[in-house]
Amino acid sequence: MKLLRNKKVRPYLHIAPAFLMIAGLLGYGVINGILESLQMDLSWSNEAYRFLFVESTFWTSLWYTFYITLISTLIALMIGFGITHFLFPYLVKDRWKAIIWVPMLFPHFAAGYLIVLLFSDSGWISGLSYKAGFISGLEEFPNLVNDSMGIGIILTYVWKEIPFVVLMLLPVYVQMDSRLKDVVRTLGGKKRNEFLTAQWPFLWPTIIEIAIILFAFIFAAFEVPYLLGVTFPQMTPVLAFEWFFEGNWEQRPLAFAAMVVVTLIIISFTILIYSTTQKYRHRLMRGS
Amino acid sequence: MLRNLLKKSLMVSAVILTVGPVILVMLQSISFRWKWPDIIPQQFGLRAWQGVFRDPNLLQALTYSMIITGAVVMLTMIISMPAARALAFEQFKGKTVIETVLMLPLLIPLLFIVMGIHLTMIRLNLADTIIGVVIVHLLPAVPYAIRILRTGYERIGTRWYEQATVLGASRFKQFWTITVPMLMPSIRSAIVLTVVITLSQYALTAIIGGGIITTLPMIYYPYFNSADQSIMAAFTLLFAVLPILFWFGIELVCKSITTMIRQP
Repeated sequence: MKLLRNKKVRPYLHIAPAFLMIAGLLGYGVINGILESLQMDLSWSNEAYRFLFVESTFWTSLWYTFYITLISTLIALMIGFGITHFLFPYLVKDRWKAIIWVPMLFPHFAAGYLIVLLFSDSGWISGLSYKAGFISGLEEFPNLVNDSMGIGIILTYVWKEIPFVVLMLLPVYVQMDSRLKDVVRTLGGKKRNEFLTAQWPFLWPTIIEIAIILFAFIFAAFEVPYLLGVTFPQMTPVLAFEWFFEGNWEQRPLAFAAMVVVTLIIISFTILIYSTTQKYRHRLMRGS
Repeated sequence: MLRNLLKKSLMVSAVILTVGPVILVMLQSISFRWKWPDIIPQQFGLRAWQGVFRDPNLLQALTYSMIITGAVVMLTMIISMPAARALAFEQFKGKTVIETVLMLPLLIPLLFIVMGIHLTMIRLNLADTIIGVVIVHLLPAVPYAIRILRTGYERIGTRWYEQATVLGASRFKQFWTITVPMLMPSIRSAIVLTVVITLSQYALTAIIGGGIITTLPMIYYPYFNSADQSIMAAFTLLFAVLPILFWFGIELVCKSITTMIRQP
């Protein structure tokens, strides 16, 4: 009992359940996953990786995943940031915050269904364009869902992630010292200076954090592309899931190897972003 | 003037973009035959909702989902609240490392982790069980819960607790009279988010549940191609209704306990 009251030990005890659960599952899963990717017919080999890298399907899939992730992340960030920046005084009120919360209530695949409802060739927007006279029939409406460009997938992520961006940025805007803005104004700064010197330094660390979370999430996502994707090209996690689940045990190392590659890409992306912004952070502190 | 007008129009389009699709699904779910290219349905009826609650598969999935979600919410809160509190108020060795590890599930693909623990879950007899599914659902839920609750604790600050200690309030009493009421907005967001996260998991449930633990997402996918649009719309709305129900439930419990404690 004395140990429990010890001020030095207590924080560790409070964190222990969360830490052990996450570190245990995560560490065990990752190590086991890497080991399984290196096994072929019960013996060690890098066969799975060799197969992946000569296979053009895998490369196409990686590029496709990267392209969808990058576009969705950037669009969601830009629109979310625009909404927070210009509408911030409204958004702090509970009423408007509740409206922004609405898309957060739906799982990603449910958002995928909403996109189908709106954008499929027999969807609502198609009907609207017909009534407005833009198209003269169902078949003239462009293929926006289940298309090889991944437009449906991108639309789904943008719709789902904009509220996430807004809700992550709002606290930063709330805590921002508005007096700094006044200082810039008294010193004769323009609107642009106001933003760059009084707001941006507080905003960008959060923006980078959001970008990393979104990138990692969409790059590794399975639910939406599985629902809205086409048979070719497929996003890499979908490919891995199918290799894993096809019942053919010879393909399981492939599934693991593909996920190892996905994980490595996400981690390199994160390290890259962090290290490049670290320099910027130092420069900022020195005040040049 | 112009700036204000721009702001107003941005506001209107933001509201249309967020709420518009949801209203459309609501209409779809209570429509009776909505033919292309009608902008609004011509006939209404509750047929789809009746269909949803009559489907035995769906009822089974709803039960599984409610049990799993309830368990995940409780465990997530029990695990996350002390951790968030320690991270918010205390300084200790290795804090940055611990913080990084706690946020790692946002970076490392969960699909990979779950594929990696699958065989072990089978050996431990946890695969194809509710317990196994609940355990893996904690992975995506806990990092977000800790994040939200930590910000909440930081907003309360330590002073209230210091004052309560000076006045001789027990730790238990401090929890119900300071933490619960003041942290309520954060608790609420964390709970709603946890419910949404558990209801969103298809891959994790499919791998660890092995198709035996059929939660709502597991039967959503087959429905997607076969069933009619109105039932699909009602089914979709169900996913948004459940988090709201959980939120009301928790609110009720916390309110009644805090009022009980306030009574002398």
